[in-house]
Order: sequence, then C-alpha cells, then structure tokens
Amino acid sequence: MSYLRPTSWAEALAARAEYPEAVVVAGGTDVMVEINFGRLHPSALLDLSRVGELRALGREDGHVRVGSGVTYQSIMRDLPGELPGLAAAARTVGSPPIRNRGTIGGNLGSASPAGDCHPPLLACGAEVEIASVHTSRTTPVADFFVGPKRSVLGPDELIAAVWVPAATGPQTFSKVGSRNAMVIAICSFALALHPDVGRVGTGIGSAGPVPLRARAAEQFLEGHLGETGAWESRPRLGDAVVDEFARLVAGAAQPIDDVRGSADYRRHALGVVARRSLMWCWDEFRGGRP
Amino acid sequence: MSGLRADGEETAKMTLDESGAKRRGELMTEIDLSVNGRRHSVECEAHTTLLTVLRRLGCFSVRFGSATGETGAAAVLVDGRLVAADVLLAAQAVGHEITTVEALNVATGEYHPIQEAFVEAGAMQSGYSAGAMVLATKALLEANPDPTEAEIRDALSGILDRETAYVKVVEAVKRAAAALRGEKCRPMDPVVVDALAGYKASPAATVTEVDGEVSMAVPRLVISPDVPQTAVVGKPETKVDALRLVKGNPAFTDDIEPRGMLFAKVLRSPHAHARIVAIDDSAAAALPGVHAVLHCRNTARVKYASGGQSWPNPPPWDQVSFDDKVRHVGDRVAAVAAESTEIAEEACRLIKVTYEELPAVFDEVEAIKPGAPVIHDETDTEGIFDSGRNISHHIEGQTVSDEALEAAFAGADRVFEETFHVQQVQHTPIEPHITIGWLDEDERLVLRTSTQVPFHVRRMVAPLLGLPVKRIRVIKPRLGGGFGAKQEMVIEDIVGHLVLATRHPVRLELTRAEEFISTRVRHAMTVTFRSGVDAEGRLVAQDMSVVSNTGAYGTHGFTVNSVSGQHGLSLYNCPAKRFRCDVAYTNRPVAGAFRGYGAPQAFFALESHMDDIARALGLDPYEIRERNWVRTGDPLDIVLRLGERGGVEDLAPEDIPVITSCGLEECALQGRRAIGWERRSDPAWHRPADRPHIRRGLGMALAIQGSGIPLVDMAACSIKINDDGSFNMLVGATDLGTGSDTVLAQIAAEVLGVPIEDILVYSSDTDFTPFDVGAYASSTTYISGGAVKKAAEAARARIVVRAARLLGVDDASTIELHDRRAWALDGRSVSMGDIALNALHTEDQEQIMGTASHVSPESPPPFAAQLAEVEVDIETGQVTVTKLVTAVDCGVPINPITASGQVEGAMLQALGYALCEEVVLDEAGRPLNDRFGPYWIFRADDTPPMEVYLVQTMEPSGPYGAKAVAEIPIDDVAPAVRNAILDATGVAINAIPFTPERVWRALQPAT
Ligand SMILES: Cc1cc2nc3c(=O)[nH]c(=O)nc-3n(C[C@H](O)[C@H](O)[C@H](O)COP(=O)(O)OP(=O)(O)OC[C@H]3O[C@@H](n4cnc5c(N)ncnc54)[C@H](O)[C@@H]3O)c2cc1C
Repeated sequence: MSYLRPTSWAEALAARAEYPEAVVVAGGTDVMVEINFGRLHPSALLDLSRVGELRALGREDGHVRVGSGVTYQSIMRDLPGELPGLAAAARTVGSPPIRNRGTIGGNLGSASPAGDCHPPLLACGAEVEIASVHTSRTTPVADFFVGPKRSVLGPDELIAAVWVPAATGPQTFSKVGSRNAMVIAICSFALALHPDVGRVGTGIGSAGPVPLRARAAEQFLEGHLGETGAWESRPRLGDAVVDEFARLVAGAAQPIDDVRGSADYRRHALGVVARRSLMWCWDEFRGGRP
Repeated sequence: MSGLRADGEETAKMTLDESGAKRRGELMTEIDLSVNGRRHSVECEAHTTLLTVLRRLGCFSVRFGSATGETGAAAVLVDGRLVAADVLLAAQAVGHEITTVEALNVATGEYHPIQEAFVEAGAMQSGYSAGAMVLATKALLEANPDPTEAEIRDALSGILDRETAYVKVVEAVKRAAAALRGEKCRPMDPVVVDALAGYKASPAATVTEVDGEVSMAVPRLVISPDVPQTAVVGKPETKVDALRLVKGNPAFTDDIEPRGMLFAKVLRSPHAHARIVAIDDSAAAALPGVHAVLHCRNTARVKYASGGQSWPNPPPWDQVSFDDKVRHVGDRVAAVAAESTEIAEEACRLIKVTYEELPAVFDEVEAIKPGAPVIHDETDTEGIFDSGRNISHHIEGQTVSDEALEAAFAGADRVFEETFHVQQVQHTPIEPHITIGWLDEDERLVLRTSTQVPFHVRRMVAPLLGLPVKRIRVIKPRLGGGFGAKQEMVIEDIVGHLVLATRHPVRLELTRAEEFISTRVRHAMTVTFRSGVDAEGRLVAQDMSVVSNTGAYGTHGFTVNSVSGQHGLSLYNCPAKRFRCDVAYTNRPVAGAFRGYGAPQAFFALESHMDDIARALGLDPYEIRERNWVRTGDPLDIVLRLGERGGVEDLAPEDIPVITSCGLEECALQGRRAIGWERRSDPAWHRPADRPHIRRGLGMALAIQGSGIPLVDMAACSIKINDDGSFNMLVGATDLGTGSDTVLAQIAAEVLGVPIEDILVYSSDTDFTPFDVGAYASSTTYISGGAVKKAAEAARARIVVRAARLLGVDDASTIELHDRRAWALDGRSVSMGDIALNALHTEDQEQIMGTASHVSPESPPPFAAQLAEVEVDIETGQVTVTKLVTAVDCGVPINPITASGQVEGAMLQALGYALCEEVVLDEAGRPLNDRFGPYWIFRADDTPPMEVYLVQTMEPSGPYGAKAVAEIPIDDVAPAVRNAILDATGVAINAIPFTPERVWRALQPAT
C-alpha cells in the first residue's frame, strides 16, 4: 500500500489522476473504520490533510465557500451566523474527537444517507464544487447523491468545496432521537426559510437510500406563503398549513425498517419534527410578533 | 455558480512529500512522529493507526476499546486537540505534536493538577480510559478555564465510561478547573443528612444542610447511631491504585508484550445453528506466518461449563473448546495463532468449513414448545433438564404446598396476573476480553488475563488443556471493567491451547463485535407474576413463573435464574410464595453473569406489578410497598429453597435466615423526599403549560439483593509486616474497577492502626495470593473484607504481644493501635516500624503475619429505593429521564466515595437497560447492532442528574458493619422509569427497552 501526501491542491488533483484506485483520506473518521474492519484494502491512500487550500473559508456573491477539508469544529466556531443550519448539524456530529477531525468533504464523500451535513446543505440549496486535473464543475447537492453511499464523483475527481448561500432567514436542524435525547438518530430534518427569494428548503436524513428533499412540502409552503403574502405580513401559521406541511414531509421520506425503528414510526416521527421545525422557524421569522 | 474560480486550475507537477513518509519496499514506511515533545522514527504500514504506533512506543495510556473511534479510550491530543487515535492514520500525525497523558507524568509519585483532581474526586473506577479523560480535560481547560457543566459534558462526550456514570468525572473536571484557577474545593466528605425513619443520627455527627451547593458527586449519608467511630473505615480515602490509573501506567493485560508473541484470531460461526460436516485447514496452515490452526478435528473433546463458579460447577457441562456443532452466530469454530493479527485473520478466511445448516430458534417461549429445533442433541452432555425440549434447567421453590398456595389465592380479595418481557443486553466493558499466555521458564502455562475469577479459571481450564492445576498460573492484572462478562472463562482455554500447540506466547483480544456476540449477555426473560392481595393491599399469595433465555449454552443458567426467584420473592412478606422457572436454550448469544444476576429481570416485573396493583386499589405506590416490605427480623423464607443449597424440603424454622439489618424504610423515605414525590399529586406539574406535548411523571421501585453466596463463597487474605511498619496484603479478590482493593486496604488499616497508604495491596495471582472465589455475587466487601479483617487481626495479635513486651506491659490485650503506633494505657507508645525491626531483626525473630479465610453462613441483604423523574414526549414517544435517585442500605459503607461511585455507575447501566440497550438479531440470528452507536450506551452529555443516598445500618455479620453495594443499584431503574411513564401518561408498558417507538405505539389509542 502506498501513501500519497500532496501538500497542494494541484498535487492532490495530479495524484488523484495518477492513482484513481487510491482511497482518498481527509479526516479519516469514516475511511479508517472501513480499513480497521478490513472492509477496504486499498492499494494506495491519498491523504488530503496537508492541502491547506481545502481548509479555507471564502465568501463570494452571498455564498460561503466551505473548503472540503473544513472540520465540524471549524463550522461550529466560524459559521453559526452565516450558516446556522449547517452549524447546528455540525454540533450534533459524534463527539469532540470526531468533530475535530471529520470534514464536510468527507461527509459528502461517504455519501451516507445518515450524513448530518446533507439535510442542511439540501435545505440551503448548496452546490458541490468538484474538480479533476482537467476540469472543474459544480453540482447541486440534491444531484450529488446517486444511491446509498454512492455519489456522482468520478474516479479522477475530488471535492474541492461546498458553496452554501448565506442564510437570509431562520434555519433548523433536528435529529429525532439524537444525543441528549438518549437514543440514536432515527431520522433527521433540516428546514431553511429564504424570505429574500420566497423559498423554503428542506432536507431529510436517514429516511431513504439517499438524503432527500421534501419537494412537495416546499412547494406547498412556498405557494401558501406567497399567495397569502405571508412573507411580508408574517401572520401566525394556521394548524392546517403546518399539518399539511408535516404530512408532505413525512410523505417524502422513503424509510425502511431497521434496528433503530420501523418505517412507519420513522415517517411519523419525521412529520412531528417537520411540524415543530416549521413552527420554530416561523416564530423566529415573525420575531416575536403576537 | 459560473465564473467562480476553482482551485487547482493550473496543474503543478506532482511532488510527493518524501520527508515524512518514505516508501520502503512493499509495505513498510518509516515515519517521524513527535510524541510528548520527543521525536521518534517508527516503521509502520501506510494504514497503521496512531493507536497502534503509540502503544508500540510505550504510551500505554492510549487504549483499545473498539476500532471505530466510538469509545474514546484511544483519544489523544494532536496539536492540543482531542482526536481518536484508533481512527487516525499514524502517517497523518506526522508534523503534528502528539500528546498523551504520559506527558504529564514528569515526577515519580507526583500528579499534574488535573490528575490530582481525578484522584481526589474518585473519578476513576477501572481507570481504563483515565488517560483519555485527563487529556479531554486538559484540552477543554486550556481553551476555557471556567467551563459550564454542559461544556464539560460535551468535552467528555467522546469517551465512553461504563463505570462512573461520569458523575465524579465531571466533578473532577470542575475541581481541576478550580485548582488551575487557584481556587480551593470542598473535600469529598459525604453530606450528612437527617434520618427520616425514626432513628436519629449519633450526636457526634453534624448534619450538613443539603443546599444544592454541594455537588451531587458527593453522596448524602444517613448515619446510624449503632455505628461506632472509626479512623479509616467509612472515610472517603482515595483509591490505592489511583496513581497507576491516572498516569496511564502499564497495568492492564495488554500492557506487556513477551518476545516472539503470536496473535490469535477465532473463526466464528456465520450460522445460528449448524453441524460442522468438514473442516479443511490446509490452506490456512500453509499460510506463511501461521503457527497453529485448532478446531474440533484436532483438539480433545472435554466437556465443561464456562461459568466461573465454585467447584463443582453446576451442570450441564455443555461446552467444549471446539465443538462439531455451532449453536449461535459467533460461536467458536476454529482458532489460529500467527505472527500478526492480519495473518491470523487471513488464515481464518482460508479455513474451509462445510456446514449442515439446521433450523434455529431465538425466543425462549418458542424454544420450549414441542417441535422446536433441538439445540443440544449431543449425547455426551449430562445434566440437561430436558434436552429434547431445550430446557437446560427447571427450577422450583416454594414456601407452601401447591394446595396451600391455591387456597391462599382463593382467599385473596383480588388476584392480579401480568407478564413482562426483558431483553438481552451486553455488559460492554470498555476493555474487551483479552488474554496473553506463555510458558514460563519451568514450562508452566502462565495466563495473564482480564478475568474476575482467576482461581476458577485456573481450575476450569486445566482439564481442557490436559494439564494439572499445578502446571498453570493465572495472573489477573488491572481490569478495564467486567460487570460479570469476565466471571466466565470466555477465551482463556483458546489461548492455553494455542500456547501449548505453538510453544510461543499468544495474545487474543476480542474485537468489539466479538464482545457483543461471543462473550455473554444478560438473560432475556418472560416473567409472569400472579399476586393475591387482601382488601388493604397486603400480599397473601405470590406466584412467580419465568421462562428464561440462556442462549446457546447453559452456563450460569441455574444460579442466575434461582437468584431471580430468591430476590423477586424476598422483598415483600407474603405467607405463600412459589417460584417456577424453565431455562431455555436458544440460538442467541450466550447469557451469563451480569451485575444484578437475575435480580433486575425479577424487579422489573415485580416492581411494575406492584405499581399496577396499587393503581387498581387506589393506593399510593409508596403505601402498597410499605404495607408489604420486609423489616429487620423478618424471615427470608424462599432463599434457601432456591440456589446452590436449594431443594431443602423441610426447613426447620430456626434454619430460615432472618434479616439482621434493614434500612429499606429509610431508603424509601429519603428517595421520596429527594425526588419530590409530592408532585405526583400535582396535575399542573404533570402537564407543563408551555410544552403541550410533554407529560411528566415520577416512579419508584425497591430492591433487595444479597452479600455473597452463603456457605459457598470463600475468600482469603494474608498480611505481613515490612521493616518500616508497612504491610503487604495479598488477596485473591479481584478489583475490576470497583475499588475493592481500596476498601479491603481500609479494613486492614483500621485493624492495624495505620493509614491506608501503609497497606500495599496485591491482587491477584494464583501463584502468590491466597484463594478467593473472585469478584461476583456482591461478595467482595462482605466476604473478602471478612477475610481481610481476620487476617489483619491475626497480625495485630502478634503486634500487640511484641508491643507489650517492648513497652513492659503485662496484659497485651490493653495495647491499642492507632496512628502507626502501639499504645500502652499510660500513654507510652512504640512505633510500628520499631516493632517490625524488633521482630524481623533483633529479638526472638519472627515474621509478623496473618492469614485467614472467611466464609459466611449468611448473606445479609442490602436494600435500595430507586426513583425516576421522566418527561414523555407524547408525540414521538421519546422518554427523557430528568433525574434519578438511589438510596441504598449497604450496611456501613466502608468508603462512601467508592460506594456511591458503584451506585452511580449501576444506575446509568440500568438506565441503558431501561431506555435503549438491546442486542438485536436479524431473522437468521445475525447481530444488527454489534457496535457502539447502533448499540447505544450513555455518554457524558446525555446522562441525567443523579443523587445518591447511603443509608447506614450496622450489619452484625459484616466487616465493620458492611454489606454489599455493587449490584443492587442496577436492579430498579427500569421499573422506576416504567412507573414514572405510567404516572406521566397512564400507560403501563411491560417490556423494555422503552424506545421512542415502543412508547409511541403504547400511547396510541387501541383500535
Ligand atoms: C465515532 C464516530 C461518530 C460519528 N458520528 C457522526 C455523526 O454524528 N454524523 C455524521 O454525519 N457522521 C458521523 N461520523 C462519520 C464521519 O465522521 C463523518 O462522515 C465525517 O464527515 C467524515 O469526514 P472525514 O474527513 O473524516 O472523512 P474520511 O473518512 O477521510 O473520508 C470519508 C469519505 O469521503 C471521501 N473523501 C474525503 N474527502 C474527499 C474529497 N475532498 N474529495 C473526494 N472524496 C473525499 C473518502 O475517500 C471517503 O470515502 C462519525 C464517525 C465516527 C468514527
């Protein structure tokens, strides 16, 4: 097994091109589990941890460019104001030892349906910047995942960064049965309100083969808020609206039965969380109005 | 996002950094690491973890808990930040500064202030992850000198501790922060509180106000007037093994590596039930680096029972080292010793096994139905109760005849019957099972092993290996937790076989997945209680019947399930009691000993049942218990009809043991006050107005346990004086983190009139220390403590004789020992050191020493009340326990800090049992959650506040009045939570764990 340790982004892309069979390692918190369990026997390891460019945060056009090597620790510390949903998700990841090493690029790279970055990135309409020696492209997060633990990344490509629009409204992230609540995640849900453009974003984790958006729920709520002028008048939301939104979110999930919960229960729980998330975000948006 | 620049547009010529990671040959790399300020060149493979490299470099404080970063035992600092070295490539650490706890160990015998705080606060039990915790504290306090409790808990949340419930760890971090800020902390002395049940504290005791100011990490102590003053006993002494633990010194099994050591791996069954038709090991044996491949075709078939129990081990002896049948997924098939773990793993893959798959059964009730697959159809196992029906044991015991029992039921005002189910859970000590074996210079087999029962292991392994006991030595170093999983010979025989086959040292350490499926679990049970009560709610008849799931083998099946009956039917007085139990073989992982030993299952059923009866009768849950509970002087009438000495048909009344000390009422009253029981009648509290989806509730449950197994458990101790008046104390007892070495030293120090630091405890090594059955059945303080007291008294007898002579006193019995001196009545004294020098060197020389053993005819029960406050989210079913209280009568707590530490740890383990832990299998018997995460154990940041009350009683038969404490606090959290959910929602749930889904389903209106 060889060990490749580029110190610049250019070297990294070149190494990726030359060793397409190499396993990319960022923080290693996912990869090392696979290697330790003997499920992965790579012929080469491509260590990105020396590539300083990947740890950078940038701002452009109302977007935050989060380098793929940015850790959860850094997201929590540096981005709670601009990307509150992502920061909230980062806070729920693992524990300090994992948050100190684990990266947003690694989370995307693993493409697990349970990855905690994914719901807020979906809800925010983030885009993934992907590069190879030859090209660079961006793809919406919603198109990034193609199956359980599978993404659109080609064998010569690396994730450079994630572009996330800075928040213009309230955002939440919740795990049902997260820590402090004494059981592991049964499903997770992110909601982002984008009042500037009249949009609503959602993201669902652990409830399907890939992280999902509840598009019907988004459209329903956008339609309701737009038609009633609610973005401007900021009235209370009626129970019927909240319940319908929750129903549509639950309906978007494609959960399975597993050791953490049955599909039915997960769908139910997701509906509850969706309802609470909407009420919390909307109250926040109304800013304490009666 | 057009127009945005992508990094790396211009492709630089690739240059691999060769300075840190040179590629040498095929596999090995040499890397330069900076560890604790020193540079090291290390050879490793590209995929080697930092954990492996650090241990190779002698940083023993960095420990294996799993290969997944989930336990935190391997947490270290990289550039000052906490990271998990088990999921970090060693090569990625090049160029960074690595810090382990060894960096703090600058002066011999001295502590860093953080370490000092950990020692003082009693933050370590086994101390297996102490290094990681100290480092987490260091990282936190460097960034944040005055952290909040939530910040502390978050900082610790990556390090799992199965022992302390984090209570005293959090306290240690607070103390360390204060110390580093230059502030002083209150000593860890318990807070004395007023008794509520009649007796008053002795006038000498000052009652401290419990004002919320005093940390919950300090136990509340109710003092009994019957307890005499003592100098060392009853004091919050720091642990005698604190130094080795907090410094991460090499103390555990894996902290040595004999030269030429081979690494073992076990091939495990992929099938729940199958016959091994053929094994072809030729490819495995031919693999370079493989030294031995053992399986049923090349090892002797010797039957045994793996439970670590006194001779003769209860039947059936239904196991062999390598059987030609597998009975659960994870059962042993073959074992390999090779020059590396990777080679051993590869060899396991190369063993070709032909299986004939058989139908399997997993549920205990299904297993004993006609037509179920027969799991033990072999002809050479004796002592199975009914192998054709998969019943390993049938246990019966009753205080009256069947007719009298039915007559009692017929005379009852009301009869209640309910069935409960409890699940399999795993102990999950953070240190897995590990054994290192070798042949010593006399070619005797030495097994250095993480066991609770070194003497039983030596005796039990001998016939399997064809060796006499005298050819075997078992060394028990420090243990990283056990909880009963190591009261069992799980791997020692494999290592013994491999050492004999290879004549090399051999190491076998189980993976976390193997811990889950191939060690032991708690018995799942289906428990039915039928109770008859009179109009006032007094029990007139109690009938308890159990179908218990022993998994693939019957080890501990008889005793665990007997204990279910013994304790389940001893808490309340009742004129007619009957216990019936079928223990079922199934194709699940093997059930064995687990802290509580059958009692948690019984109490979940009993204490839930009692609440339901109370509800039906309109009684407060406290009231119904008070009307029925046992008191001092009441008979323990079922105990001798079950268990090791069971089957006693006609017990003479004078043979029935009676309760000689009982603080149950005091426990219940303290617990009730501490939890705020009066809120049960406040509807507004139950439904907080600001959170309409929340319901609150309170629940209580009581328990009784034993203190050792009467007339079976034996412990011994020997004590000798040294030139300076210190003492070596050798005990066979096995401190697995419980603090028993400390408690035993306190007992010896009390007798000998010296401070605890003058007692050098060594436990345990079958070549050096006298016999002890081991650490189980809550026996160590009570039984081993009894032996220590006697041995110390024997040494004391010689000391006072010599002191009398030195002081010219005629009557040696007037000599008193205290403050390291022997005192005459007239106030003259001679030092312990002078007595020792005189005895060893100058006059009528002798080694002052004492050796004694102890067996007790009694097993005085400790008592406990456990209470829970919960919030139920009625929309999701999520149960959040917001407070737990335990008040326990363990006689006189010899050390209130270690005692309360036991209580706290047990409460949290029990909370996992109640809320989230369960070994889940798929329909083929394969594990679905054989790692942390999916199998959730509580972390520092999701642990509720806990309060511990120690209610003193003076137990006449115990050393300095002590009874047991380690098991009872695991008994009652599940029923207390269940009863609190009932109080909160009106819904009674009769199966655990209370996962959100189970609770949510129970809350749905019946359709
Ligand atoms: C104890 C523990 C707890 C955890 N808890 C959580 C949790 O609560 N929530 C959660 O979401 N995850 C959790 N994880 C999983 C893991 O920590 C995260 O997914 C993390 O984000 C992975 O990042 P990494 O940098 O460590 O990735 P790595 O392990 O280094 O890489 C992960 C994958 O991404 C690929 N990759 C990495 N970087 C790139 C790149 N720049 N371009 C292309 N491919 C790349 C790798 O090849 C690999 O396939 C946990 C892990 C552990 C060990």
